Amino acid sequence: MSSNVGGDAAALTEDAPGSRVRDGGGVQAPPPSRPRRRGIGWAQRLEIAALSGPAILMFLSFVIFPVLMAAYYGFYRWKGFGVPTNFVNLDNYKTILQDGPFLEALWHNALIVVLSLVIQGPIAIVLALLLNQGIRGQSIIRVLIFVPFVIAEVIAGTGWSLMLQTNGAVNGVLRSIGLGWLTEDWLANPKLALWTLMMILTWKYIGFAVILFLAGMQNIPEELSEAAAVDGASYWQTQRRITLPLLGPTIRIWAFLSIIGALQLFDLVYIIWGQYVASTAGTSTMATYMVTEGRNAGNYGYGNAVAVVLFLISLLIALLYQRFVLRRDTEGALTEGR
Amino acid sequence: MAPNKTLAMAAVAALTAATLGACSGGGDDNGSSGGNVTMQLWMNATTGPGKAFWDKTAADFHTANPSVTIKVQSVQNEDLDGKLQTALNSDSAPDIFLQRGGGKMAAMVEAGQLKDITDDITDETRQAVGDAALKTGQVDGKAYAIPISILPGGLWYSKDLFQKAGVATPPTTLEELNAAVTKLKADGVPIALGGKDAWPAAHWYYFFALRACSPATLDATAKSKTFDDSCWTKAGEDLKAFADTKPFNDGFLSTSAQQGAGSSAGLVANYKASMELMGAWDPGVIASLTKDTKPLPDLGYFPFPAVPGGQGDPAAIMGGADGYSCSVGAPKECVDFLNYLLTKDVQEAYYKAFNALPVNKQAQGAVTEDYLKAVLDAYNKAPFVSQWLDTVYGQSVGNALNVSVVNLLAGKGDVAGIIKAVNEAARKG
Repeated sequence: MSSNVGGDAAALTEDAPGSRVRDGGGVQAPPPSRPRRRGIGWAQRLEIAALSGPAILMFLSFVIFPVLMAAYYGFYRWKGFGVPTNFVNLDNYKTILQDGPFLEALWHNALIVVLSLVIQGPIAIVLALLLNQGIRGQSIIRVLIFVPFVIAEVIAGTGWSLMLQTNGAVNGVLRSIGLGWLTEDWLANPKLALWTLMMILTWKYIGFAVILFLAGMQNIPEELSEAAAVDGASYWQTQRRITLPLLGPTIRIWAFLSIIGALQLFDLVYIIWGQYVASTAGTSTMATYMVTEGRNAGNYGYGNAVAVVLFLISLLIALLYQRFVLRRDTEGALTEGR
Repeated sequence: MAPNKTLAMAAVAALTAATLGACSGGGDDNGSSGGNVTMQLWMNATTGPGKAFWDKTAADFHTANPSVTIKVQSVQNEDLDGKLQTALNSDSAPDIFLQRGGGKMAAMVEAGQLKDITDDITDETRQAVGDAALKTGQVDGKAYAIPISILPGGLWYSKDLFQKAGVATPPTTLEELNAAVTKLKADGVPIALGGKDAWPAAHWYYFFALRACSPATLDATAKSKTFDDSCWTKAGEDLKAFADTKPFNDGFLSTSAQQGAGSSAGLVANYKASMELMGAWDPGVIASLTKDTKPLPDLGYFPFPAVPGGQGDPAAIMGGADGYSCSVGAPKECVDFLNYLLTKDVQEAYYKAFNALPVNKQAQGAVTEDYLKAVLDAYNKAPFVSQWLDTVYGQSVGNALNVSVVNLLAGKGDVAGIIKAVNEAARKG
């Protein structure tokens, strides 16, 4: 059976370049290239439809449809039972943008976006450089750094919330090694809580950045550093002038993923701080605000409006980033394709 | 290659058919009756005597009424509300289901999803239960649910710890409570508070409001949904003054209410805290968190103490009631079953299964535990029984209170913040 599947895949990959050649032919003899597309027979069309159909259907029904429904519900004052009837126009959106707790949550999101980049980026680059050197026990260290990323958010969150309680393991260890004066209410102290969250986020997601950067470094041709060495460049000069610039595309993609993740941050905060204390401790995010004010308060119309605002902010930032930061990288990819 | 594809298609088709079949299975409501009737019942007891109670009650009812079959389905407590909401909105609701009352019930009534059972509650039921309890299932004077158990709130404490600290009798005034807390804190056993879940913190504000505000004000606020009477501010100031004495366990803001030994109920269960303010479900929760998962042997109950200077009655009590509703499409036998649930024998069985106070007054005679008797005593003496304020004022106000009371206790917000948050909540829903 597996051989059959393999055969299938091979047939597909053979087909794909074939069609590209036909398109390429079109470029050489400009206008009448389109009609040749008729060359795709009905069987092939059916196959494309059958193979991509389920994915498209899933995407439409679980991504596009909910977004549209949220936009629809966001215009209503609705308790979640029956069909919404109380149309309130843009009232929900006006309330959101004037609501103190939402603006606080937005500010926390902004802080998390910036701090994630500033804290995790340099640490991850340094770790990747170290691990790229071929030191002893490299693979074990690599695994250890990557393990937190693999652990489910709920488990990591539950673990940290137990350890960081006032009578938890962290304060216990501090007391037993004579650092009792350092004990703190790590989670509930509004001055500390956001930094506690940043520490946990760094611990949790640094592995992902390190693995990405390592992969990026493996792609840098060794000849370049060899040539630099021949020219008498020191280790740091090589890293600064060759490795880091060539790592640029990887760093930019990582930053993009990190920003989007930080904007939508929900699970760790929700697990560790619970449904209500996040806003008191100063770790609430737009997503936890959405759940508190939407689901917990039973104001489903309002909650949907918050979801739309969160979606629009993420979309805007993603588009701007693609347009201004990732432009060079994607353009490069496209030229290669031509 | 072809046979494999066919096989895969067949598998997909079979799966789809199975899923569809499962879906259509839920939709067998029959609005009319006569002949054989099958009804679905959703409740939240998944194991132990609670589940056994429902299975037995459904079977007994079937024996007495052979034409009626009740299919009992356990739904995990935390999943129940969401599943129920989906089922109600998609017209596949169970015929009988656990009703938590309050704002959610009002929303279901408004959406036309509940059966009006006002005229179907029998006189025997009315007599056995009494108007006060039945009122918990009413919206605008019409009945949409029957209460099955009353769950008044108050302070649950360890008699041993009180004795050890030299607190001879449970406090009856705020002054006595403060004195008791000072002694208990000297022993390292403060009041437990599950601030992480917020509602236990909000309960403290509710009770101070019950003492500060007259019943008339509480009723009027249910309509206006604004906290403009000065008693709401007094309640906040009373709570603040009390919280300033630091009566709660260290790190109460990251303490949950019911999960694990570190929760507030767990602290009481393991003698790490002397008491907590909770509803009458607490003995069961505490019992599940003791080392041997048996009831705490020295558990006691005393009502919320009197607070000087308020307009509320010092003996007024606050609490909730778990109830059951019929969905709008349920057959008329549904209400027969609800009446049956309130008969003496079933109510006694319910008390034994859940260790919760029955609403049937005759069944209340079967109660043996000291602490439950203390609850009954306080309940029956109370001149005024209020529902939990989030139940009366709706989820949206309750949510605003949860957030702002936690802010107050954390020192981040003030009393004015509570009033402001409640008045703003009206704009969101």
